[in-house]
Amino acid sequence: MIAGVDFLHPGLLALLPLALLPWLARRAGALPYAHIGWLPPDPLGRAAGAALRLLASLLIATLIIALASPGRPESVELRTGRGAEIQLLIDRSRSMDERMLPSDWRSLSPHEIRHQTLSRGPIKSQAARELLSSFVAQRPDDRFAVSFFSASTLHVVPFTQHDEVVQAGIAAGGIHRGLSETDVGRALISAIGRFDNRPYSGSRIILLVSDGGARLDDDTRTAIRAGLERQRIALYWIYLKGFNRPDLDTPGEASEAIPEVALHRFFERLPTPYHAYQAQSPEDLAEAVADVGRQQNHPLDFEERIPRQDFGRAFVTAGLGLAGLLLVLGRWKLEAWS
Amino acid sequence: MSATHDFHYRLPTRTGGWRPGAHKGLAMGSGEDFVAHASLFARPDPRRIDLRASLRDPRGDWLVRLARQRTSVPVAAVVDTSASMGFGAPHRKIALVADFVEALARSTQSIGDPLELIVFDERIHEALGSPPSRHAGLGALLAERLRAAPCTAPGHGALLEAVSRLAGREALVFLVSDFHGYGPELSEALDALSRAQVVPIVVWSRQETTPPEGSGLAQLRDLERGRVAELWLRPRLRARWQAAVDARRLALSQILESRGLRPFFMPEPFDGDALTRYFLEGA
Repeated sequence: MIAGVDFLHPGLLALLPLALLPWLARRAGALPYAHIGWLPPDPLGRAAGAALRLLASLLIATLIIALASPGRPESVELRTGRGAEIQLLIDRSRSMDERMLPSDWRSLSPHEIRHQTLSRGPIKSQAARELLSSFVAQRPDDRFAVSFFSASTLHVVPFTQHDEVVQAGIAAGGIHRGLSETDVGRALISAIGRFDNRPYSGSRIILLVSDGGARLDDDTRTAIRAGLERQRIALYWIYLKGFNRPDLDTPGEASEAIPEVALHRFFERLPTPYHAYQAQSPEDLAEAVADVGRQQNHPLDFEERIPRQDFGRAFVTAGLGLAGLLLVLGRWKLEAWS
Repeated sequence: MSATHDFHYRLPTRTGGWRPGAHKGLAMGSGEDFVAHASLFARPDPRRIDLRASLRDPRGDWLVRLARQRTSVPVAAVVDTSASMGFGAPHRKIALVADFVEALARSTQSIGDPLELIVFDERIHEALGSPPSRHAGLGALLAERLRAAPCTAPGHGALLEAVSRLAGREALVFLVSDFHGYGPELSEALDALSRAQVVPIVVWSRQETTPPEGSGLAQLRDLERGRVAELWLRPRLRARWQAAVDARRLALSQILESRGLRPFFMPEPFDGDALTRYFLEGA
């Protein structure tokens, strides 16, 4: 680190020999005495005097160095960060109150699935909230914001790193039943808007948790595309696929008519990163959430300008301490003949 | 300076001067001190014819009483004004010396002895001194000059030169100094003054002899040599300081006593009675 120290006024360092003054001017502060020769020699006194002079030397040197303003020069450092800004955008529509496939749906006969789902499948929104809250708990470095949407968007929690608030916001989604509409377009635009006027400090994610899609008109599409691109936001869509709901990857021109598929295809054409997860059961949902965590766990390398760090203050403080010490010690010095 | 500081001095031995004065002398003359009878022809002074002795004289001569005359003795003060004499608080040591010189001048004035003052350090300061003189009021003048003496010289190099002015003379010589750093030259000076009656007056101030109160660091610089001593004042050091002073006092006394001289340690403030006692003890 020594090599990385520079001085604002290196010329003042030429004064450093002044630190020798206490050793040269030993007589200055001394009391006159008629004849030293007959006094007993005193090693203790000599040591104390040397210590005092050493302190005085240090004080002078410290002040000169402080005047020369040492510091670490301005540098650019490559930093690695992990913190991401994650906007949880959770569907609050009525359909989210429906149940998902139970965990053992693969072992059930096709005739039973519907029945079983309706009776004992976990409720979508509840499962989503539970998983999201554990997701939040696992990522203490990230900042989260929570919004629910149906017809319009309810921003519950602004971006914050305080986990309790986020958890409470997520839990708040469980109150009462959902509403009937699902306007993904408005919700996305509104969610993108929450990134406005925030410094870009880590990767930005909108985690859309929804079980339905929507047809978006051209204006909305343009706004979403521009917003995501401008704010450099990655979009993750956890699609809670209900029983008998269409698959996102349904091929064919005709499937464009299905809102979910249309939305998926629009997202896929976005210039920004996008990933969709289809979750039919709680296990799928858990996998999807974990995958998002993995995806967004990659370290973010960025260059940070570190401003010049001035050490002068530390030297002044040290000098002040030394001066105080000298003042205190000076009280033990014989100042005059009584 | 009150009159009580005046002192009386006397000499333990007879002095050879011819000039009448107050001290016991060796010269014959008018006096109370009977020595012998002599024939009137040898000493034609009919005022002193001793009838009884003449009648007893088997040869029938007229006998005359012979007596010693009391004599005057020149008094000289040799004063060291080296830098160490400028030490002392609240009064410098040289001020003590000035008090002493003023008292001495009054004493010599009242007895009738001439007083000479020689002031020296690295050289002789003629302006501060005075040739032998019986001037009234001389003491105040000399004392005033001494009180204003700068005392800056780093030594006493002119000691022998100062003393050589008095060498071989019968006189009462006050050698006033603190005797700091006096080595063999002191013996040489005393050799030169062997015919004189020397009174060494040792001027030490209280700050020199007693360590300062309290504890802490004392940084002291020598007024003459410029060396610095640093002492951490504590009871043990105070004892050692006192011991060193005592040792110096003893050593100085031994040097002087080997020549039959008793030093007079000047009390602070100057006390004429103490000096009177000194002379009474010595006689």
